[in-house]
Amino acid sequence: MTPIQTGPESGTTPPLRPARPAPESVQPNWAGALRQELFASRTDGLVSVLLIMVILAAALGLLRWALAQAQWAVIQANTSLFAIGRYPVQQQWRLWLLVVLVAALSGVSWGLLRAFPRADRSGEIWPFNDRLVVALLGFLAAWLPAALALGLPLQLRWWVITALLVTMRWLAGHWGRSLPSRLVKLVPLSWPLLYLFGMVLIAGGLGLPRVPPSEWGGLLLTLLMASFAILLSFPIGVVVALGRRSSLPLLRWSSVLYIEFIRGAPLITLLFLGQNILGYMLPGGWAPDRVWRAAWVLTFFCGAYLAEAVRAGLSAVPPGQLEAARSLGLSMPLALQRVVLPQALRIALPAAVGQFISLLQDTTLLSLIGLLDLLGTARTVMANPEFLGKNAEVYLTLAVLFWCCCAALGLGSRALERRLDPTHSPV
Amino acid sequence: MPSTQPMIEARGVQKWYPNGFHALRGVDLSVSKGEVVVIMGPSGSGKSTFIRTFNALEEFQEGSISVDGIALSNDLRNIDAIRCDTGMVFQQFNLFPHLTVLENLSLAPVVVRKRRRSEVETQAMALLERVGIAEQASKYPGQLSGGQQQRVAIARSLCMEPRILLFDEPTSALDPEMVGEVLEVMRGLAAEGMTMVVVTHEMGFAREVAHRVVLMSEGQIVEEAAPETFFTNPQHERSRQFLAQIL
Ligand SMILES: Nc1ncnc2c1ncn2[C@@H]1O[C@H](COP(=O)(O)OP(=O)(O)OP(=O)(O)O)[C@@H](O)[C@H]1O
Ligand SMILES: [Mg+2]
Repeated sequence: MTPIQTGPESGTTPPLRPARPAPESVQPNWAGALRQELFASRTDGLVSVLLIMVILAAALGLLRWALAQAQWAVIQANTSLFAIGRYPVQQQWRLWLLVVLVAALSGVSWGLLRAFPRADRSGEIWPFNDRLVVALLGFLAAWLPAALALGLPLQLRWWVITALLVTMRWLAGHWGRSLPSRLVKLVPLSWPLLYLFGMVLIAGGLGLPRVPPSEWGGLLLTLLMASFAILLSFPIGVVVALGRRSSLPLLRWSSVLYIEFIRGAPLITLLFLGQNILGYMLPGGWAPDRVWRAAWVLTFFCGAYLAEAVRAGLSAVPPGQLEAARSLGLSMPLALQRVVLPQALRIALPAAVGQFISLLQDTTLLSLIGLLDLLGTARTVMANPEFLGKNAEVYLTLAVLFWCCCAALGLGSRALERRLDPTHSPV
Repeated sequence: MPSTQPMIEARGVQKWYPNGFHALRGVDLSVSKGEVVVIMGPSGSGKSTFIRTFNALEEFQEGSISVDGIALSNDLRNIDAIRCDTGMVFQQFNLFPHLTVLENLSLAPVVVRKRRRSEVETQAMALLERVGIAEQASKYPGQLSGGQQQRVAIARSLCMEPRILLFDEPTSALDPEMVGEVLEVMRGLAAEGMTMVVVTHEMGFAREVAHRVVLMSEGQIVEEAAPETFFTNPQHERSRQFLAQIL
């Protein structure tokens, strides 16, 4: 540290040194940074060149295979099977309706997030990243349905849906602020409602004919199982984490028992166990068939890991926070709800999302208990003599699909994290 | 000037921590309405423990405490009522980092007192004005200096319109140049007749603002006197030792 000079700047004391521009090395300059990162010394340069060559060779090989050799007919012929399994054709309009609703609500939520930036920020309505995402969506809408050789009517539907999303995003972004605030507050609440309504649309009820879970499949089943487990494991995780820190011994010990039991066994064992015993453990209507039993096992499995993440979050909140809330007269539930949990969950978020991502991947285990999730569907397709030997195409598609879902989860959570971080900008 | 109406009455308070440590060994203190009492004493003498029993952040085993006429018992309704009327300012500020300054102030009045948000926010802005940080209302606590944070913490307590304010070493975590701005706010409150119990080692503040100075040692009150007497002519040996250390 340089000594701080104080005192009046009279004739005898030398004047303070003025600030001067930072030297080259401090200023961001990606070309310079790249040179420094990759080619700082001769060995560095050699290693970098070698690595770049290896990566390029692998990527080129894959590309050549994908464009010239691979026969994507196996995917094109089974698009619907991969997407929704054997969902009855006459009822598929229900799924289209659900996609339309999700697209519209996503657009609205996204736009409102930009229209209402955090209190201490001035937000841009169309930041660069958002324009990038819109461009990507447009490209996907134009290219993917065509690449999958969907009929023109289906292609058209996807264009309309994408256009709907972007339009809603645009409308909400520009006019969100002039909406009555009561309406805006309804938007986060409408997500769980849409989820429940989506369940009805998929499964039937409220006058819609029933589509039994045995007819759900592919991406639909995978996303349904993962989202069900993620949504329900969240309250379980919070309650168990609070229970584990509770002063009531019975609550504490049952929480510990639950967490340790689940974490001590591999998921696949629990899935098989669940198929056999959940029928006796849960109330009659809850686990009527294999799909729902598996869904509950995934939920309880995820809940136990989530509880540990939330517990870590809870212990990272200083005890002074609870004391301050209590000293202001907040009751224990209010103090937890308004002061402690928001901070704890914010801290637990990265670990929780990591958990959600691995849960999404773990849904592939469902194929081992005979469910037709993405992997299960893929296995039936590959077993079809017509598509024999097309494993590489199928597995690559699966990998890309999972990768996209996980990347979306990860990006979404990072955006949420940034939005929730009050200490983002330095003091 | 303080009246004779007692706001806090502590009689023979005994407190043991769960590990068996005898932290309060029969403490009596009575604070009148409008009075400013400064509690001093060496580290570990039980000052924090004592002041925290007033709003039931610590429980005690024997003796009695009544605050503003309400006896502190295990009845949760009494405890919540007392906490609403008793503001507390902590050494570490304990602002809610996930809420803006304005939200920090309005949270409790809105969710506990069930007052209208718009009305509370008007009051909160006036309070922020008064502690001199109205322009920071939409910032987050992490973006403020220590002195500003502690002034927000005081304003947050005031927003509940308490009848008593408790301060536990409010300036000990501050850089020296920020102590003054916080003490200034506290001086203003005292001048308006707020009942205050302040744990602090700020001699100047005690001399100038306190009506009474209390010295604690080993979980007991060893001396209780007007500031002039306490600082110039302490009666008890422990007080002389303590003053010799902090002077
Ligand atoms: N949770 C606890 N369990 C056991 N002992 C405790 C606990 N909290 C405090 N103590 C002990 O009680 C005594 C009084 O603590 P207290 O915090 O009231 O002191 P203090 O006078 O406020 O000191 P300081 O000036 O350091 O803040 C100390 O000896 C401390 O070690
Ligand atoms: Mg203390």
